[in-house]
Amino acid sequence: MNKAIELKGLTKKFGNKTAVDHIDLDVNEGEIFGLLGVNGAGKTTTIRMLTGLSLPTEGNAKVLGLDLKSELDKIKMMVNVSTQETAIAGNLTVEENLKFIAGIYGVEASLFEERLEDIYTSLELGEVRDQRSKTLSGGWQRRLSIAMALITGPKLIFLDEPTLGLDVLARRELWRFVKKLKGKVTIVLTTHYLDEAEALCDTIAVMAKGHVLAVGTADELKRSVNKGTLEDAFVEIVGGEKK
Amino acid sequence: MRALVFTSRNIKELLRNPLSYIFCLGLPLVMLIVMTLINASIPKPEISAEAEAFIDTSAIKATTVFNIDKLTPGIAVFGMTFIMLFCCISVSSDRSSSFLTRLYASPMKSTDFIVGYTLPFAIIAAGQFIITYIAGEIISLIVNGESLNIGYMLLGLPLAVPSMILFIGIGIFFGTLLNDKAAPGICSVFITAAAILGGIWMDIEAMGDAWVTICSCLPFYHSVKYARCILAGDFGGMVLPLTVTAIFALVIFAASALLFAHKSKADK
Repeated sequence: MNKAIELKGLTKKFGNKTAVDHIDLDVNEGEIFGLLGVNGAGKTTTIRMLTGLSLPTEGNAKVLGLDLKSELDKIKMMVNVSTQETAIAGNLTVEENLKFIAGIYGVEASLFEERLEDIYTSLELGEVRDQRSKTLSGGWQRRLSIAMALITGPKLIFLDEPTLGLDVLARRELWRFVKKLKGKVTIVLTTHYLDEAEALCDTIAVMAKGHVLAVGTADELKRSVNKGTLEDAFVEIVGGEKK
Repeated sequence: MRALVFTSRNIKELLRNPLSYIFCLGLPLVMLIVMTLINASIPKPEISAEAEAFIDTSAIKATTVFNIDKLTPGIAVFGMTFIMLFCCISVSSDRSSSFLTRLYASPMKSTDFIVGYTLPFAIIAAGQFIITYIAGEIISLIVNGESLNIGYMLLGLPLAVPSMILFIGIGIFFGTLLNDKAAPGICSVFITAAAILGGIWMDIEAMGDAWVTICSCLPFYHSVKYARCILAGDFGGMVLPLTVTAIFALVIFAASALLFAHKSKADK
């Protein structure tokens, strides 16, 4: 299987603090890959490096076969991100937001219309297409934020804590939409919700204190520490790091 | 192309904010009308040549800043301080939300951002300038029964570009430097400074050499002065303050562009 991402000793230091410490990871094309960890584990910093928002202190990565350090501009054209906080233009309508981000990525008009219809169908945003985005509920705004990432036709999409701050119904709705994307686009999502990682991810990497402690499917992680639930397995894996 | 897409978004955001109409268009018009009414209520003493030889008449003459030919360019420049305020709020709000983070991860370059923030506010500033001058012309016809010089008014618009760049540059600078809570407060200081030190409400020359020296160190006084010179047809008097304003504008705008580029890569 082709690799969408290959991390080789990727490291990020802020002064004396090491946020991400020499991590090696592979993400397969078309899968939903979860970075699971508590706050401060290094998940968001890893995504920031892979999206060009932050330069690695050491190590390197290949994203979609391109070198992160020397071919960032090409990578940016094929990758999109939905950030932790909802990143939308509040005074623009849903459709204007989508048109705006498509314009930034140079999406042709005919392709935009095609993708727009797909997104309206899959993310059910059609009913609020003319509504100012600041008037949408949190769940709808998050959905729009993901739609803005998808409208550019990325091969790889990063979802940073996509359900943070959403109520349980909105979370479940969003899970449904993310599952629909499986196989169409490679997704890397960060979360500290264990149920979310188990429900959505093909592969999960458990991170703590900037290290990757374990990688595998939810079942593989459970078996690796002989636990019945992902929560117990996570506590065991991360607890092992603390010891 | 990306810069124009970003420009279009910023124009829409600005036009859909009701406060921008109140501050950018309404307030300059209200001030023009109110100051004209105040001026009309001030008694105009007759000063004889003998009296001028014995008393300092500068304070009396200072009231001429409220005459419509002086007031209109002054208010037009003062109106740009509100453009500065909105530009500052716009940049700092985008930075405070994760909207800019998303755009930093996109193929947009720093120049796209700077152009995208500058163009919409330059267009609004030009609109504000035109409306202020049309209002000035109407008031002049009503109050004085005579027209302002239309040719000089038309010339004033392209020559106002350095002032527009100056105030937009200040807005981008502080919008980049400060968060959305602190940015409006700092802009208020600049609005007040521009009003007092720019000589919009008072004749700076009548206040003594020390005051002129202080005001000359800042761009506002020069900006107001050259705008008034243009409307008066005093092209000789216009050159120096226009040059000084243009230099201030270039330096401040370049500083704001560099600061924005630096901040966008702050943790790299």
